[in-house]
Amino acid sequence: MLKIENLHARVEGKEILKGLSLTVNPGEVHAIMGPNGAGKSTLGNVLSGRDGYEVTAGSVTYNGVDLLALEPEARAAAGVFLAFQYPVEIPGVNNTYFLRTAFNAQRKARGETELDSMQFLKLVREKLKVMQISDELMHRAVNEGFSGGEKKRNEIFQMAVLEPKLAILDETDSGLDIDALKQVSEGVNALRSPERSFLVVTHYQRLLDYIVPDFVHVLADGRIVESGDKTLAHKLEEHGYAWLAQHGEPAGAQA
Amino acid sequence: MTSERSDHMLGDTGATVLRDNAEVAEALGRSYSAGFVTEIESTGLPPGLSEETVRQISAIKREPEWMTEWRLKAFRHWLTMPQPDWAKLKMAPQDYQAISYYSAPKVAPKSLDEVDPALLETYEKLGVPLHERAALAGVAVDAVFDSVSVGTTFRKQLADAGVLFCSMSEAIREYPELVQKYLGSVVPPGDNFFAALNSAVFSDGSFVFIPKGVRCPMELSTYFRINAQNTGQFERTLIVAEEGAHVSYLEGCTAPRRDENQLHAAVVELVALEKAQIKYSTVQNWYPGDENGVGGVYNLVTKRGDCRGADSKISWTQVETGSAITWKYPSVILRGDRSVGEFHSVALTHHFQQADTGTKMIHIGRDTKSKIVSKGISAGRSNNSYRGLVKVEKGAEGARNYTQCDSLLIGKRCGAHTFPYMEVKNPSAIVEHEATTSKISDDQLFYCRSRGIGEEDAVSMIVDGFCKQVFRELPMEFAVEAKKLLEVSLEGAVG
Amino acid sequence: MSESAVPFVASTLAVPPPSSGIGWLDEARRENLAAFGEAGLPDTRVEAWKYTALRALSQRSFIHGDAQAATRDIDPEAFALPGLDGPRLVFVNGVFRGDLSDLSALPAGLALRPLSQALAQDAEPLRFALARRYKERGDAFAQLNAAQAVDGVVLRVAADAKIDVPVRLVFVGVAADAELAWHLRNVIELGEGAELTLVEQHVGSGNARQLGTLVADVVLRDGARLQHIVAQDASADATLVHRHALQLGARAQALLHVLELGGALVRHDLQADLVGNGARLDTRGVFVPRGRQHIDTQLAIRHQALNTTSDSTWRGVADGRARGVFRGAILVAPGADGSDARLNNKNLLLSGSAEIDTKPELEIYADEVQAAHGATVGQLDERALFYLRSRGIPLAEARTLLTAAFCRAVLDDLPNATLREHLASLLAIRLPV
Repeated sequence: MLKIENLHARVEGKEILKGLSLTVNPGEVHAIMGPNGAGKSTLGNVLSGRDGYEVTAGSVTYNGVDLLALEPEARAAAGVFLAFQYPVEIPGVNNTYFLRTAFNAQRKARGETELDSMQFLKLVREKLKVMQISDELMHRAVNEGFSGGEKKRNEIFQMAVLEPKLAILDETDSGLDIDALKQVSEGVNALRSPERSFLVVTHYQRLLDYIVPDFVHVLADGRIVESGDKTLAHKLEEHGYAWLAQHGEPAGAQA
Repeated sequence: MTSERSDHMLGDTGATVLRDNAEVAEALGRSYSAGFVTEIESTGLPPGLSEETVRQISAIKREPEWMTEWRLKAFRHWLTMPQPDWAKLKMAPQDYQAISYYSAPKVAPKSLDEVDPALLETYEKLGVPLHERAALAGVAVDAVFDSVSVGTTFRKQLADAGVLFCSMSEAIREYPELVQKYLGSVVPPGDNFFAALNSAVFSDGSFVFIPKGVRCPMELSTYFRINAQNTGQFERTLIVAEEGAHVSYLEGCTAPRRDENQLHAAVVELVALEKAQIKYSTVQNWYPGDENGVGGVYNLVTKRGDCRGADSKISWTQVETGSAITWKYPSVILRGDRSVGEFHSVALTHHFQQADTGTKMIHIGRDTKSKIVSKGISAGRSNNSYRGLVKVEKGAEGARNYTQCDSLLIGKRCGAHTFPYMEVKNPSAIVEHEATTSKISDDQLFYCRSRGIGEEDAVSMIVDGFCKQVFRELPMEFAVEAKKLLEVSLEGAVG
Repeated sequence: MSESAVPFVASTLAVPPPSSGIGWLDEARRENLAAFGEAGLPDTRVEAWKYTALRALSQRSFIHGDAQAATRDIDPEAFALPGLDGPRLVFVNGVFRGDLSDLSALPAGLALRPLSQALAQDAEPLRFALARRYKERGDAFAQLNAAQAVDGVVLRVAADAKIDVPVRLVFVGVAADAELAWHLRNVIELGEGAELTLVEQHVGSGNARQLGTLVADVVLRDGARLQHIVAQDASADATLVHRHALQLGARAQALLHVLELGGALVRHDLQADLVGNGARLDTRGVFVPRGRQHIDTQLAIRHQALNTTSDSTWRGVADGRARGVFRGAILVAPGADGSDARLNNKNLLLSGSAEIDTKPELEIYADEVQAAHGATVGQLDERALFYLRSRGIPLAEARTLLTAAFCRAVLDDLPNATLREHLASLLAIRLPV
């Protein structure tokens, strides 16, 4: 489904990703761990097409298409979803309205029929129930005045409604207390399916107790230096990232 | 109430028959959807301005002697006034002799049923059906085409409630004592250059009178349309709400695409007596000129409300997307104790448009309150200024003002400016002003796009959110229209 | 009435501009005087003078200069700043007083002398500053100053020199037999990477009914840092028109603290051009007009380069029949991307006969910009007042306390503690009670 080969990317002239390769198959959950500055957030931003991230070498193929050639909205329509580390506030734009516009824009791009506001509202209500989000949140402006936890839950809620094929969770656990973390994880787990893949980017192993990955990769200095199953996360937790340095040559980056 | 029109009297005073190539205009009129020209036979005065012109306008409208004199006095005063020179506006000098001060459809309707079908079609195209059957639910409309009112809907229902809603020409003939009492009492004929010009040559406009204790049963609205070439529009609107009366009034404005600049110099006066409330909403979409800054309406307007009675309230809401130049400061004189003034504004400029708009809140009475919310959006090479005055006079014990001005820049070659003046002479007053200027953040744009929303749609969505506080003040139908207008006006602004 | 029939203008034009023997300078003086004679004093229709009427001033005549200034008896205590010893230049009624000044032991890298001396030795380096023609409609006093000023201060700090003692410029106004006018011109330059703390003091004694004008050019080369304090406590009868024009090069930083306390009619134009990338300007100021004082501050900041920052906090308190005027204009020029401009002006109106006129302005021509301003006019916070009273502080005292705190906020980030304390106590003395 997703094939990243030898990806190099620069931000403000500085090379952050230095030859990252990774393959994700349908239904798999991959965790990307790594110390600060390893390039974790850069990966999410490059995959979703943010300006200012310059790909200098390598390729990203998503379901057979060159993902990097697509505009951000086209990537979304193709089923790529980024749950932001810091979701931005958009004053005055109603949360429900925003989500319906996004939902219908994606459907339109895929040649599917759009939902009218009644149909959409019905859909939202169902999803709200599953996600345990109060509908009061839906009447407010996008992320405006949301607490950190509310913002993250809102991201997962958007994911539930938009039903992407590939979801990238960028440090979704950062700034969450244990209860919020559990809620968000439950939301994510409810969305796991054989067709849907996840890239879970995190600094801490803690999140992976709740969202159990099929594969764990360690990203350091712009490359994947170690891959393994979920036990790798525990090793890291135990020994810290410094342990990797002594752990020998960067591993082949195949999952 | 009959609606006798005097336009047929024109006969040989003027005979400019205009026929425009509507197809060409249509082809040119891509994004300005109101840019079509109506093919209708018009008649009017030849260009030029003199005492004789003023007398002719007055004669055509069969005005009483006092009105003619009133106009002449204003005209003589105007002759002594220099044309204002504004710091922030670039405006070609006007040749006041090149403008026609009167234009009207040749065949004058006696009632709505007799209105020329081409005219009705014009208003249908603009989304303002004049047939009462098809009319906007619960909205009474007065339509002003070039210099004259072509029809007012729902007259009977309004009359039953005691509400007077008619063209200004008609009011001068039918209700001279009311007009004499209030006309020029808020904006005196010599107030400023354009108000003086308007006082001399105004052709039509709307008159609204809500008697004591009456809540107007429906929204009142006027649609202004400039059609004829070389024509200035000088409408005059007067709204009087007696003690305890309430009224909500809307105006919409459009004009065809033309390469030369057209002048629109209106005067609007509002009078609110004790406990009266007037809500005045404008969606201004005069032709803004093309993307190279050619053509467009010069919209130079004096709007002022007088909260004459205690506990009265006047609220201005405006959405300004049109005109090559907009120069207007809808103001409120807070004379009555505890009176309230509000100003909510969205001004969007694109290409080479210039907008210099804002308000004046003059606090005179005790415990008076005013609130100003201004949202400016600049794109292309346009310039958009907020200019406002909050003045608290010595006796305005307990006066309160809150002002919020936000500007949004779209692109590198436009300008956004804020010039608030605060003059405070009472130590118990609290006056607060806040302003910000920024562009649409890349983060917001990317967030929307990463959810699948295209760039143009994302921009309109963010702009719409930026303007939300003001749109909320508009009646529902207008809010929808305003939002669409912003979208259309922003076409091509991004990227 | 023609302009030359206006007493102020007539008395000014009666004296020919002083001759320096330097061709370009005399020409500049003549032309500036001619420009002043032509336009006269601005009226309130000129936007920059909208809130400051000069009608009363225009009816007064002034004698140019004070012949006895050199021998007037001055008590140095009037301008003493205990704990802040360093070089200083003192002027009395516009005349340099070597006996009161201290130019001994100038630190290395600091050149400081009166303008008259600098002109006599080598005028050429001053040509750029002094040959200027002022042409704006509101520039009458700058024109007058350019025509009439024969002295002032020339201060230069060499590149990379860090001057660790504050330099003081003291302007004393004392009563004379007639109403006199004086004009001083300061030229200040900090070389690349130079650092300086500069203190300007205006002090007055007696009822000095005089007009003083002071025009200062302050240039900060790349990377220079300036702390600039202006403590204006002129004689209660004085008219003072002062103007500072700052220019900041790349990464230069200026921090200004301005106290406007004295004078009958005071106008301060503070203009700053941020012309180098990464320049930063912080201005803090307070104006406290009481009685019949009229104090007008016109702050204009122009961002003309990339990533420039300005932050301004100004407070005003008006009492009695006084009037406080503030204009805080920020301009971001086309292409000045990355500019961050903030301005805040809060005012207290303490009397029913006082007036505050404030006008923050934003004029923005670039889009990668963060700009915000705010202004308020109001009273002391009722809740704070109540809180103090509930702790046993009488109302009048609570008011004084809160008013002082309101003003003193602008001194908070003044790094030099001795200076900060000195200014705070000066402020406390001048605050209305």
